[in-house]
Amino acid sequence: MSESLYAQLISLTAGTLLLTAALIVWRRSLRASVRLLAIQGIALAGLVAVLGWHERTIELVLVSLLVLGLKAIVLPLVLSRNVLTHDDDREVPRLNPTASLIFAALLTMLAYIVCRPWMGDTDDPTSRAVPIGIALVLIGFLLLITRRRAASQLIGFLVLDNGIATVAFLTATGVPLIVELGASLDVLLVVLILQVLTGRMQVKFGGTDLDDLTELKD
Amino acid sequence: MNWTATAVALFQVLVATLVAPLVIGITRQTRARLEGRAGAGILQPWRDLLKLLRKETLQANGVSWISSVGPIIVMASSLLVAALLPLISTITLPLVPDDLFVVVSVLLIGTVAVALIGLDAGSAFGGMGSSRHMMIAALVEPTVLVAVYALSIPAGSSLLSSIVATRLDAPAVILSPVSLLAVVALFVAVLAETGRLPVDNPSTHLELTMVHEAMILESSGRDLAWLELGSWLRLSALLGLVANLMIPWGLATDATVLALVIGTIALLVKLTVFAAALGAGEVFLAKLRLFRVPELLAGSFVLAFLAVTASYLVT
Amino acid sequence: MNPLEGALTAELLIAALACIVAALSPASMRRYLAGVATLAMAASGIVAGGFALSGHTGTLSAPTALPAVDLTLAPDRLGGVFIVIASAVTLLAALYAIGYVHGSADSRSAWLAFIIFTLGLQMVPAAGDVITFLLAWELMALGSGVLVLTDHRTRPQARSAALWYAVMTQLSFLLLLAGFAVLATATGSTTFDALVTVSPTSTTGALAFILLTLGFATKAGLVPLHIWLPRAHPEAPSHASAVMSAAMVKMGVYGTLLVVLRFMPGGPAWWGIVLLVLGGISAVYGILQASVTSDVKRLLAYSTTENIGLIFLAIGASVLLAAYGITAASQAALLAALLLAISHAAFKCSLFLGAGAIVHATGERNLDRLGGLGVRMPWTAAAFGVAALGAAALPVTSGFVAEWTLFQSFIHGATRDAIPLAVALPVAVAVVALTAGLALVTFVKLYGIGFLARPRSTGADDAHEVSHPMRWAALIGAAAVIALGVFPGPIAQVLASAVGIGDVATIGFGGLSLPSLGVLLDPMALAITALVCALPVVVVSALSARRHPRRATELPWGCGGVRVSPRMQYTATSYAEPLMRVFDDTLRPEQDVVVTHATESRYLVAQVRYRQKLSDVIEVRGYRPLLAFADRLGVVSRRLQNGSLHRYLTYSFVALIVVLVVVSL
Repeated sequence: MSESLYAQLISLTAGTLLLTAALIVWRRSLRASVRLLAIQGIALAGLVAVLGWHERTIELVLVSLLVLGLKAIVLPLVLSRNVLTHDDDREVPRLNPTASLIFAALLTMLAYIVCRPWMGDTDDPTSRAVPIGIALVLIGFLLLITRRRAASQLIGFLVLDNGIATVAFLTATGVPLIVELGASLDVLLVVLILQVLTGRMQVKFGGTDLDDLTELKD
Repeated sequence: MNWTATAVALFQVLVATLVAPLVIGITRQTRARLEGRAGAGILQPWRDLLKLLRKETLQANGVSWISSVGPIIVMASSLLVAALLPLISTITLPLVPDDLFVVVSVLLIGTVAVALIGLDAGSAFGGMGSSRHMMIAALVEPTVLVAVYALSIPAGSSLLSSIVATRLDAPAVILSPVSLLAVVALFVAVLAETGRLPVDNPSTHLELTMVHEAMILESSGRDLAWLELGSWLRLSALLGLVANLMIPWGLATDATVLALVIGTIALLVKLTVFAAALGAGEVFLAKLRLFRVPELLAGSFVLAFLAVTASYLVT
Repeated sequence: MNPLEGALTAELLIAALACIVAALSPASMRRYLAGVATLAMAASGIVAGGFALSGHTGTLSAPTALPAVDLTLAPDRLGGVFIVIASAVTLLAALYAIGYVHGSADSRSAWLAFIIFTLGLQMVPAAGDVITFLLAWELMALGSGVLVLTDHRTRPQARSAALWYAVMTQLSFLLLLAGFAVLATATGSTTFDALVTVSPTSTTGALAFILLTLGFATKAGLVPLHIWLPRAHPEAPSHASAVMSAAMVKMGVYGTLLVVLRFMPGGPAWWGIVLLVLGGISAVYGILQASVTSDVKRLLAYSTTENIGLIFLAIGASVLLAAYGITAASQAALLAALLLAISHAAFKCSLFLGAGAIVHATGERNLDRLGGLGVRMPWTAAAFGVAALGAAALPVTSGFVAEWTLFQSFIHGATRDAIPLAVALPVAVAVVALTAGLALVTFVKLYGIGFLARPRSTGADDAHEVSHPMRWAALIGAAAVIALGVFPGPIAQVLASAVGIGDVATIGFGGLSLPSLGVLLDPMALAITALVCALPVVVVSALSARRHPRRATELPWGCGGVRVSPRMQYTATSYAEPLMRVFDDTLRPEQDVVVTHATESRYLVAQVRYRQKLSDVIEVRGYRPLLAFADRLGVVSRRLQNGSLHRYLTYSFVALIVVLVVVSL
């Protein structure tokens, strides 16, 4: 693979990661968010595959398949089952979408600024994409803070996790397969547990608005 | 005075004016076909225009000069934009370069003139359209300026012709994430500025949902003809700009006849494709609620802003 | 005595004469005599400012009772710019006043206050040392304070406005006093020429910068210190509000330029950021409030906050760019600041004079009750319309040229080497763009609702064109807006020479060219191109008009109905409603809707009453708690004051002892 094509593919996949994160902040519909999350998973898998192809390591390609299977297929499916079972698909965020979008832009800028000392003057495409991973982490946090519904909390958590994974792949140039496997299983487990909790909440309160949890303190 | 540049600019204005109604015709026809209707043919906007020019012009009692001069101002601002933008060639008038800020301000003159026409007759619908139109115009402006700011960084200039010329020389720039984000943001802004779906429905018949149509409800005859042609020309010119930013090939860089012919043909092809795509896209879109429009614009602003951030901070 | 000194002396003599004329002339002749005297004073100010601007130097000084402290007037070229701005604005205001003043605004004290105000305005930029500067500053505050009180008998709001104004203006004075004291103790002298020895990067420099900037920002009406501005401007008579808004707040700008250009040039980057942030917040907040306000003069006052915000933003960008060594863009930003300043003086003067004409003709200040004035007051409408175009920064007006220059400096200041710049410039572009967009809505609303459509009240219906001096004053202001917009080249060259920028040229038909950035703007050529484009349209229209002349009818479409009442039109409040909703979280309006049902059925509505009250969020959230706290403090401290003379003497005695002990330590 030529260097310029490699650089183009890295920026394309990283750009898609950022764009999907911004769109998740923008959209209120949970179904749309889950679809975007799936696209983000594909982009992450693509990023890993490109890295693997460039480094000529079969292990990374395998990891990319794992990422594709888990983040682009399994997790979105699990989530969409949860969303589809409840008719109400609207998120009513605590912060209006316009303000959250502008926050997301500022967070991205912050990510670029904090990464500059590490990036230095290298022209290496992987280190140029690191800030996008950080931005994903920050946007994931923003989603966790501003969203009410349990399902969107999960989405925020997954965006955050995608960010961590992006940074890990880009800086460590390849996480050992076993580590990635462990991390992925962890995420899957967390999602399943939260899924169960959400179900319980649905039964208990008749909704999944996390603000209802404040009633539990008595 | 540079006569070649003047001649090229006039030629560009002429082509854009002749083509503008056809662009609308193509969008409407595509939409009609996709919805299973026969459609009126792509020449229908031209026929409407000629009919309007022949009709009597009515105006409400007690209106000011805005109602009669306004349509001419709208038309002149669109013609001026068509003369300035790099549509057929990147040659610019030496004393009037196609500086981004100048182009935006000239567009805004047209915007303001339409808004004042909407208020002048004193009908409730006109005021409503005018108020919504100005709100959208105000919120679009940050997106437009920031998006073109992002595009201007690689070119080192805010002249649209040099931005397009840079892309012609180094096509790799076009596919960079920075430029993609900026062009998408700009495209959303163009849709909002020209009153297309999902911001405004150009074919609505319900006054309460109208934006642009509500302002020109009280105009008739030649006033209406100028207002319609002015808004169509604005759409074509801006679509042409977006097209040239995405696909700069074919644009004339010198004033030879051959280059201009190629440039004209390229513009026609690009506009046809974009108009058809616009018409096809609109089949699948519904108009957004008015108070969701700021969210759309904020979204496009964020894209533009991310483009600037990325272009600055990525070495 | 050189020409500059001669002109300054003449100005002072004319001012003294004007005071005598205003004090002694009989009531029936007062406005003519005092008006002409003020005109002469303004004209002599323009001459003096012109001399200073063209590079003449001169010093007038008078000894004071203190040794080694003289009062000196020694304007430099930058001061010359502001003397010309202040005098030109006063000239138009005085001309206007001849036709406008009546009742309390024509009283002896009002004219004296106006003359003192003018004198203060002309002396602030001419001052050559700290004492003179502060003295002139106080004259300015005194004159304008009395003018705000002009209508206190009929309008109780005037008293509260004057109180707010007096408090804030004293705050400004105290901050300036402290700031200058810091500089003067560091250098041991009070003359401006001696103050330059303070290093901008030292702690002293930083402290002086903060104090002086805050002081000048208060006078300039920047958020969050703007609070006096939307109260005081509307209450003063219109000719005084024009001078306050177009000239007086500019003295805050002059002061800031004095600090960053003359006293401590080459300030660090954080100065630039402070000014950028102050300016950016003021610009957006000011125009946002203006866009939803219906009171004409209050709207213009908020728009002043916006414009001054933009000027500070430009100064901040200039300092920031200079700190990173991007000289060309930094100079362009500084030029933009000066262009914005004179452009604002021209259009805001015309707008306030026009607003005064509206109030005079209709007795209404509320836009919701105006309408249809374009037909009734064509001259005022023309002047107001042109000035509104300038305020909205549309071509070919002065505002457009100024914002263009600002935007060019942002684009060409782009660099990847400095993070603060990489963050600040895009944000600044977005802020300027949003401000420009909202300004467009504001002024379309102001002109469209006020001058177009049908009158919404009997006052507006019976309006008549105002007297000749009033309409001419507004028209000259509007002509200046166009002249500055069409021939920016020569004007920019003069301004550039005043602040030592060399790289500005005139091009084409009086166009502006910045060779070091490689950009040019020729508004005349743009206008000619537009006319060429419009020509065929006009010809076709004319041909069509010969066959079918226009026919007037009640309402061509009107949704098939007929017009029932002018109350069915959109009002200013309804016009701003979409923006109010979009910026709901920032503006926090109070709204009530009361629906009264018909007695027969609750499905029938007899009456809907809608009330909306908009208060300044910063006042409600920031100042009210502060005032309440001060009140409580006052109550507590009352315990110290119980009326016993002995106790008061004890206080003095204790104070004396404390001072003695402290001194002896």
